[in-house]
Amino acid sequence: MKNRLQTLKNEILEKINEIKSEADLKEIELKYFSRKGEINQIMHSLKDLDLELRKEFGVLANQTKKELEEAFTKAKNSILNNNDGEILDVTLPGVNMKRGHLHPITIIQKEVEDLFSSLGFSIISGPELESDYFNFTALNIPPFHPARDMQDTFYVTSAKDDNQEELDLVMRTHTSPVQIRAMRKFGAPLKAIIPGRCFRNEATDARHEHTFYQFEGLMVGEDINFANLKSLLEIVGKKIFGPNTKLRMRPKFYPFVEPGNNGEYTCFLCSGKGCKVCKQTGWLEIVGAGLIHPNVLRAGGIDPEKYSGLAFGFGLTRLAMLKYGVNDVRLFNSGDLKFLQQF
Amino acid sequence: MYISYNWLQDFIKLSPKYNFNEVADKLTAHTVEVEATKNQKEVFSQVVVGKVLEVSKHPNADKLSLVSVDIKDRILKIVCGAPNVESGQLVPVALDGAILPGDFEIKTSKIRGEISEGMICAEDELGLGFEHKGIMVLKEKAKIGQDFSEYLKMDDLIFEIDNKSLSNRPDLLNHYGIARELSVLFNTTLKPWEKIIDDKIKIKFNEKDKFKAEVFDKIACPRYMALKIDNIKVAPSPDWLKKRLVAINQRPINNIVDIANYVMFELGQPLHTFDAAFVDKIEVRRALNNEKIETIDQKERQLNVDDLVITNGKNIIAIAGVMGGLESQISDKSTSLVLEAANFSAEVIRKTAQRLGLRSEASLRYEKSLDPNLTEVALKRFVSLLKEVCEDIKIIGTGVDIYSHKPIEKKIKFNYSWLTTKIGQEIPKNDALKSLSLLGFTCTENDNEIEVVVPSWRATKDIKEKEDIVEEVLRIYGYDNIKSTLPKEELSLPIDNQERLLERRIKDMLYSQFLLTEVYNYSFVGEEQLKKLNIDFFNHLKLANPLSELNSMLRQSLAPGLFSTIKNNQSKSDDLAFFEIGDVFFNLPGEYVKDISGIEKLPYQEKRLGIILAGKNKLVFSQLKNITTNFLTWLLNLNDDVVYLNFDTPPGWADEKLIAQVSVAGKNIGWLGLGSNDVKKNLNLKVEVALLEINCNSLFSLFLEQAPFKIKEVLKYPPVVRDLCFVLPDKILYNDIKDVLSSFHPLIKSVELFDTYKGIKLPADKKSLAFHLTYQSEEKTLTSNEVDKIQKELVEQVIEKFGAQLRDF
Repeated sequence: MKNRLQTLKNEILEKINEIKSEADLKEIELKYFSRKGEINQIMHSLKDLDLELRKEFGVLANQTKKELEEAFTKAKNSILNNNDGEILDVTLPGVNMKRGHLHPITIIQKEVEDLFSSLGFSIISGPELESDYFNFTALNIPPFHPARDMQDTFYVTSAKDDNQEELDLVMRTHTSPVQIRAMRKFGAPLKAIIPGRCFRNEATDARHEHTFYQFEGLMVGEDINFANLKSLLEIVGKKIFGPNTKLRMRPKFYPFVEPGNNGEYTCFLCSGKGCKVCKQTGWLEIVGAGLIHPNVLRAGGIDPEKYSGLAFGFGLTRLAMLKYGVNDVRLFNSGDLKFLQQF
Repeated sequence: MYISYNWLQDFIKLSPKYNFNEVADKLTAHTVEVEATKNQKEVFSQVVVGKVLEVSKHPNADKLSLVSVDIKDRILKIVCGAPNVESGQLVPVALDGAILPGDFEIKTSKIRGEISEGMICAEDELGLGFEHKGIMVLKEKAKIGQDFSEYLKMDDLIFEIDNKSLSNRPDLLNHYGIARELSVLFNTTLKPWEKIIDDKIKIKFNEKDKFKAEVFDKIACPRYMALKIDNIKVAPSPDWLKKRLVAINQRPINNIVDIANYVMFELGQPLHTFDAAFVDKIEVRRALNNEKIETIDQKERQLNVDDLVITNGKNIIAIAGVMGGLESQISDKSTSLVLEAANFSAEVIRKTAQRLGLRSEASLRYEKSLDPNLTEVALKRFVSLLKEVCEDIKIIGTGVDIYSHKPIEKKIKFNYSWLTTKIGQEIPKNDALKSLSLLGFTCTENDNEIEVVVPSWRATKDIKEKEDIVEEVLRIYGYDNIKSTLPKEELSLPIDNQERLLERRIKDMLYSQFLLTEVYNYSFVGEEQLKKLNIDFFNHLKLANPLSELNSMLRQSLAPGLFSTIKNNQSKSDDLAFFEIGDVFFNLPGEYVKDISGIEKLPYQEKRLGIILAGKNKLVFSQLKNITTNFLTWLLNLNDDVVYLNFDTPPGWADEKLIAQVSVAGKNIGWLGLGSNDVKKNLNLKVEVALLEINCNSLFSLFLEQAPFKIKEVLKYPPVVRDLCFVLPDKILYNDIKDVLSSFHPLIKSVELFDTYKGIKLPADKKSLAFHLTYQSEEKTLTSNEVDKIQKELVEQVIEKFGAQLRDF
């Protein structure tokens, strides 16, 4: 028995030394090391021996098995890891892994939300299907006011009523109606932003889209003033477009603010030198803003003698277009995988 | 709106040191955005004066001539269709590359086989009038080769301002108003309007005379002035007048109409002139339903009781403030006129103009609320100009002035320190008061309290409260001159918005852990689209004014959009996986109030989450279940299972047999199904599609109901895993047996299905379900015997309850 074990050991060690390829490895593994291989056969045969012998050979056999296995593993590693002569192309691409994608508006919206959250603003929302009252009248745009022309509106009718009924439902044309809802719900002081989907009834092309995203910010307090508005807009510009961004404000009429203004930032693409995107002006008109009109505060149940407020609005869709160089606004709602996959 | 720089200089003298663009920038910075500036010369670049040398017949066309034209540096060959072309004429020639009004580009081309190197222009082609009977023949002073703009002495510079940005400033929709602003911005004097009126012309108003007018609706017409003038001679306007109109993109018509328009663009007050032959009396009243009038654009308009009309006692002769009637308009034959200078209610005019789709220059101004004092100035200015053009005019009798509603003088009081707090910076009081008074406000000061009287031209809509005064002071001082200061405020916690956080978490999980792609679809759907998905569209909310039939209804589900997403992308990848979070809309009362009374509610709106998978086989259904279960379990830290139940009222798009309700903690939160073959065929889908739709509101309330997340203790003692396989009648559902297995004994910690089988090895009405059962104790290592004992009882119960058999492996 002892001899048999020794012979086998020598035989195997010799064979291991001769291993040159993976095929050799496999052959030896099958012959000696597999479940029904020769080593296991010997181990199996131990059970036929007397208890004494079994003890003696058992130790030896196990030791031999271990030695052989180590030798084999060593040989195996050396073969597998050191394919002399074979060229491995390390420049080959790795295994392709699928990944998911967020919509670009989601990404931008998140950035904006995080910015304002860090300034202590709340994030609130409201209905996309609005009443004429909240979308217009409460925002100081009474019926038949010419300012209604500024926003082409989708009116909504329920399927049952005919066109006879007065149309008092609209797809919100801006996020501003949520200002009123928020003021009525939370009162003053209030500091919130309202991101969301808005609608305008205009034919779509590369630059126009009937469905788009805006966000609106408002701050109501006892001493909110125009200089505050200006500094807040400066901060926002620097955060979104970079630390060297400058702001310039121009008077502009929005019925829900007084005084009202637009805000232009130095073009982040050309640092204000003038390029195609800013039409060589060096400035990008980005924001509409102002101090909240006293009628709007009143509609929100807030006393304009005690409180004042500031409000501003950006186009999220426009920010995304500028930031990612999107030239066709329709891509955002196209569901085109080739577009979405890039984010 | 176009504003002529030359015209402005009738009222203000701007120092030549300011160039035109600086003036535009100043207007933009302090008053209203100048969208564009242009040099009038550019309008006629590539248009020159040419001399017709020779005219011969076109060989292939009877009505065309071949003309050679000398333009000084060369001689052009031009094919011309005008009957009046003759040799020796001096004519305007548009050269190759010229762009004429209406974006009409001139190119060298062959016309019926003959080369034509330009075009000899008629008046209308140059935007100079409506004449199209023949080419324009120029006066002898024209020089061959001269730029046409030079011949016309077009040296004007033009500002372009968007009308919409003047919604609140009716006083600026004219040259005088813009000049007033510039006079403040450049600190120069504004010519008073008395100076543009010929004071030798005396007109008396409001005395009894034979020419009568009556206003029946005094609210809709606060002031009506009219004047009859004889001895007019209708003719083309003099050049200076034409030039002004052309400069601001208006085509001259005849002297009478042109002067009326001129006054409107100068002062902002629309005027109308009637041929007096049709008007011996005027009545201002509301129209009757179905009354009709043919307007000057030769269209018949049907009116209703909302419309205000001007009649001659018998017929309607104008839609007040919107457009005049064809019959009574000034024509070449008119010898006397009735001039109307009236003030109408903005709301009435806007309603009518909107309903008729007729936005005229007049209605555009009226709907912004005009100053009733303006009618008198405008009427006198018209007469002054007419006198200049037709010396022999004769004013007949006295004028009409029915001034029913004189506006009350508007006064606003404020404290100067209040103004400073609103701005956040002290503006020198004297500067502020000076700006206000230059703008026409009368200011009186009493201690720190200031009272301003609002000028009538600003008092109609724009300036109402003291906040409006802040804007006036601030904008003239300059937004750029305000130093920014961050708001000082007490710290407070933001409003808790768990919903928003949950939505963000959902998106983050779905894209980063489940590798889905987020998509945004429109909120609108169309009938055809819904029909293809077998979705009933009858009860959908509809757009009253949709852009197209494809987008005419409000979605009640994310399914239509997501199916389209798959359809549009199926050629790009074999397996597609998208999700969307968006609102859906129902024709039922919801939570949001419609107005502050709170009685009526907006239609019900709900946020949904949709996930759609597409792949080569029906396995997508099971894959989507896997995603759903894992996603919900992780998102909500669920202790309960996500359960799929039979669905009795499945959505139309689903395969009847493969649609389930998704239920968590006894609540149905949505559904999950496979797209039916029918829908696949209708949409021409080449892939199998599985869709999940979940109500985010339910998801959110579940989220709030969940106990705060706590980890499960890691048990020290080893688990014992046993496999069990049952052969069961088909009608026994996974849910039924799973419930029994998991609730059978507290030591059974998990029950996991690992195989299902149905096929030839089993009777036709049987299936087999195989489970891994994990037994584990918190107190000790379980022995085989303990586990065997529980499992034996369990098997007996399952066999008895479901008629099951144990299946051997």
